[in-house]
Formats: sequence, structure tokens, C-alpha cells
Amino acid sequence: MQFWKDLFKKKTLCGICFIFLILILFVGIFADVLAPSKMVNGILESSLLDRMKPPGTAGHILGTDSSGTDLLSYMIYGARTSVILCVCCTILSTLISLVLGILSAVLAGTFDLIVQRIVDAFGCIPQMLLLLLLMAMMGNGIPQMVIALAVPAGIGGSRMVRSAAFSVKDSGYCKNSDLLGGGFIWKSVKHVLPNITPLVIISAAGQLGGVVMMEASMNFLGYGVAPGTPSWGYLITNQGRDHMFDAPWLCLVPGIAITLLTFCSCMFGDGVRDILDPRLKGGVGSYNSKKLKKVLAKLSAKEEKSGEAA
Amino acid sequence: MGKYVVKRVLLLIPTIFIVCAIVFILMRMMPGDAVDIIVVRMRNAGKSVDADQVREMLGLNVPPVIQFFSWFGGVLRFDLGDSFFQADSVSEIIFRQLPISLELGIISLVLANLISIPLGLFCAAKQDSLADYILRIFAVFFMSVPMFWIATLVLFYPAKWWGYAPEVTYYSLFANPIKNMSMFLVPGILGAIGQAGTQLRITRTMVLDTLRQDYIRTAYAKGVKQRDVLFKHAFRNAMIPVITIVGGSIGALVGGNVILENVFNIPGIGQSLVTALGYRDFPLVEGCVLIMSLFVMIVNLIIDLCYKWIDPRVSFD
Repeated sequence: MQFWKDLFKKKTLCGICFIFLILILFVGIFADVLAPSKMVNGILESSLLDRMKPPGTAGHILGTDSSGTDLLSYMIYGARTSVILCVCCTILSTLISLVLGILSAVLAGTFDLIVQRIVDAFGCIPQMLLLLLLMAMMGNGIPQMVIALAVPAGIGGSRMVRSAAFSVKDSGYCKNSDLLGGGFIWKSVKHVLPNITPLVIISAAGQLGGVVMMEASMNFLGYGVAPGTPSWGYLITNQGRDHMFDAPWLCLVPGIAITLLTFCSCMFGDGVRDILDPRLKGGVGSYNSKKLKKVLAKLSAKEEKSGEAA
Repeated sequence: MGKYVVKRVLLLIPTIFIVCAIVFILMRMMPGDAVDIIVVRMRNAGKSVDADQVREMLGLNVPPVIQFFSWFGGVLRFDLGDSFFQADSVSEIIFRQLPISLELGIISLVLANLISIPLGLFCAAKQDSLADYILRIFAVFFMSVPMFWIATLVLFYPAKWWGYAPEVTYYSLFANPIKNMSMFLVPGILGAIGQAGTQLRITRTMVLDTLRQDYIRTAYAKGVKQRDVLFKHAFRNAMIPVITIVGGSIGALVGGNVILENVFNIPGIGQSLVTALGYRDFPLVEGCVLIMSLFVMIVNLIIDLCYKWIDPRVSFD
């Protein structure tokens, strides 16, 4: 509860971004209800008579594309694709990093050594290249995209989970649990997991933003969602770029949508980190000479007062 | 120190082996292969060839395990094999294209650091001021703009409005420095802004983190000026995590280059990687990914060695 209070009071912009994310989530879920033209058998209704209508045309607020599909409906269904990708990727990658990281830390020894070598190797291959190879291997489509985005991210994130879990593992209560005969699964789930939850939430929130951007970039290189699936990145690559001059809205609208969604996810992730990260909380506070002078002035004023009173 | 360097370099070998294995396995699991493409091409040219013959010629007829070890043996001898489609060997192609990609990467990295570190320091010094907020919001904004989108916009709209278009023909830096620079400047800036956003935020956080330490309070209490505290006490200590992040972002930079090279038609490794992937040119793709990964590994190694130089407290023993 305190978290939500902090989010909206101290980090107003993050709160706004969070509301926007929730809005996009609802747009994605209720796309069938919200979109003006409906999806029929996986294809959006379109009429060739309405080709390339500019934004503001009656019935087509954002205009239409080269096959007469209503852009607003396309964007709404595209939001669904983005939401599915974001949610599934974040959950899957968090799960992978949790399992790998905690197992590495709790089992330690040879298992840890081998897993860490593999994690190191994955860390050396630039994410974009790994994505390209994985997508080329699995083919285009949303499930493939989820796996291709989540697996490298999960493997990369496991390192952070491992180091956090290591510090928890060596604490007194974990050793006591060992003495009382707790198995490693009991220890992982009951003791390690709850203690690293804030870190996991921070990293999951931080990942949200990258997903949409990566999906759009992969679409640009030709390895994205299956053709026909409404997706913002796909729209820019396949229609926006060909009609930059005669129909600029086809390029601008999805681009702005991707930017907005990524921006809000990043801001939200940031806010979550600022509120939850114990390292950024409290402490001695920040000092600069101005603040210090103010504090000193206050102190001396107090002293003077007490002196006068005495 | 010497011992540490040797140990780190030796540790690179298993990592290289695993990277090679990952890339090799991924490539061999891909649907379709170069043989089909070659056969179809030859047939279209009016020659009939046997698929098995082509397979034998490319060395794809032996079991994958043997293929892998013969390729990995070659890698250890700096021989990356021959491209399936191009006349040159993979090493020659990479040797030709690596400087081009490096030039783009270095321009982006230098620009990103020039923008982000001073601004990051400024933000930390003026924490929670209006300028701080605006700069941070801009930083997140630049991180959020999809690079290929903004690159396409930059390529087309200035041409329409102001009659300006970035150069899209590659000239070597030494043959024609002006044309070379006019080609690299725009993609360099585009590569830098996203990077700068990330680095600005991290520099700010780290400097702020350092500013909360006890020795900073002591310095203020001694009456040291804010400028001196910032530059002499805080900045240097904050640089360690910042440099780690710069190292970690090399991978993202390389990935971003793949997109920029494709948009701006720069004949670097990224472009040939995407083309080769489409043709299932196994040795070329494997070579490109390996070289880029090796580059990331070496940069990270250099950064680890730099710690000692920045922070005298770090000891390698």
C-alpha cells in the first residue's frame, strides 16, 4: 500500500506512466470491443474503397493504410500484440533467471561453475545477434518471439539473482534452516526467494520497456511477428517506410506509439526501482553545500532561540 | 597483475568455446540451408547439379560434431573457413568490414560519452532541480525512440524539407575523409543518443550514490568547495560502475550498429551478417557473430584491467 502511495505522491510522472500502461493493457485485452473495425478470422476488416485516407476522415480517425484497413483498429490490435509480448516475455525471463540464479547459488560447486561459464558466454554474444539467430532458427511468430526475447534476457538476469541469492544463502537463518534439516528446495522457496523479491520486481519492471523496442527492431530486420499479425513495428517496416511521403501517418503513428509505450515502461521501471531499492532508500541523504548551509542556518537559529529563552 | 592477466586470458578460451558451440548449434538447427539455394540458382542458370555433390563441396556431408570440431580447430588457428557464396574467405571479408563497423561504433561511443558524462554530473550536482528533471526525461525519451524508426525519418524527411540527405555511398576514411565523415556522422549521432540516455542516468545515480558516502560529508565539513568535492571526491569513485556499464553496453552498441548499417547502407559486419543469415551462409554468420562476441569479451577484459588504474584500492591478488 505504501508503495502505491509513494508511486503517486513522490513520483507523479511515474504514476501517470503507470496509468498509461494500465490503459494500454486494457486496450489490448478489450481490443475486440474497442476497435471500430473487427477482426474476422484473424484478418482486420478492410475496404479497398477507403485506401490511404488521411487522419480525420469520417469513420477513420487515424486514417487508413494502403489496403484500406482502419489505422486506429490496427493500432488497437497492435497494442494487444505488444501487451502479450511484454507480459509473456517478462514473466518467462523472470522465471528463467530465478530458477537458474537460485539453483546456482544454493547448489553452488560444480553446477554453479558450469552454469556460470554458459551464462558468461551468453553475455558475450550481443543480444541483437542472439535474437537474430534464434528468430532465424524458429521462424516468425509471437510465441517464437517470446522465447527468443525471454531466454537470453532470463539467462543474463540470472547473474544478478545469483549474486543476491548468494548473500542471502550465507545469512544466519539459512544456516539454521540447514541445521534443522531443510532441503534445498525448502531453503530456496522459503528463505531465499522472499528475500530477493524486491530485486526481482525491480529487474522485471526494468525489462518491460526493452521488449516492444526489440520486437519493432526485429520486424525491421525481417524476423518479427508472422505476416498479417497486427504489430506496430511491422506496420512501420512494411507500410510506413514505403509511404513516407504520400501517407506519413502510417510511419508516424506507430512510431510515436512505440516511443510512448517504451517511455512509460522505462519511467515506471525507474520509479519502482527508486521506491523499492533498499540501497537508494534513507541513508544519510544527499548533501550539497546549499542544503548544508540551510541546515546550519536552521540549527544556529534554534540555538539562538534556546539561548534567548535561557 | 601479470598473473591475473594471464588467468583472465586463459579463461577466455572456454568462453570462446561455448560461444562457438552456441552459435554453431543455433545455425545447424535453422530450417533450410545454403545447398538448396545453390542448387536452385544453378538450375535457373541452366546447369544441373547434384545436391549431394554441392553438400560434399561445402563440407556439409560429414556429421555436425566433426564439422564443429574442424571449424573450432580452424578458429583457434585464426582460420574462419570460406564463405559459401562469396569468393573471399570469411577472415578476408571480416578484415575488410571490421574497420567500417569499428569506425561507426567508436564515433557513437565517443559522442555518447561526451554528451552523457558532463550532463550526468550536472544532474547529480543539481539533484531534483528543474534542469535535472528535464534532462532525465529527455534521457529516457531518447532511450525509448526506436532507432530504426528515427533513422528512417532522418533519412527521408530532411531530403523532402531541406534538400539534405546523408551520404549513403561508402568511401574509405583515407581516400575521401569528408565524404566518409558525412556518411558516418548521422548514424553515429543516432547510435550515440540512445546510449547517452542510458549512461547519463547511470552516471547520475552513481555520482549521487557516492555523494551520500561519509567521506563526502567529511569533505564538506572540512570546507572543501562543491566543485572540488564533485570532481575530486565523487566523480572518480563514481566512474567505476559507470565504466562497467559502458563495457556492458558495448553489446547493445554492436546490436544497434546492425540496424544502423542496414538503414544507412554502411558495408559493415552487421549488414553482411543479416544478408548472410538470409542465405544461410553458415561460415560467414558464425564468423561475424564470433568476432563481435570476441570484441565484447576483449573490451570487458580491458575494462576489468582498468579498475586498478581508476581505483587504487582494487587489488587483483
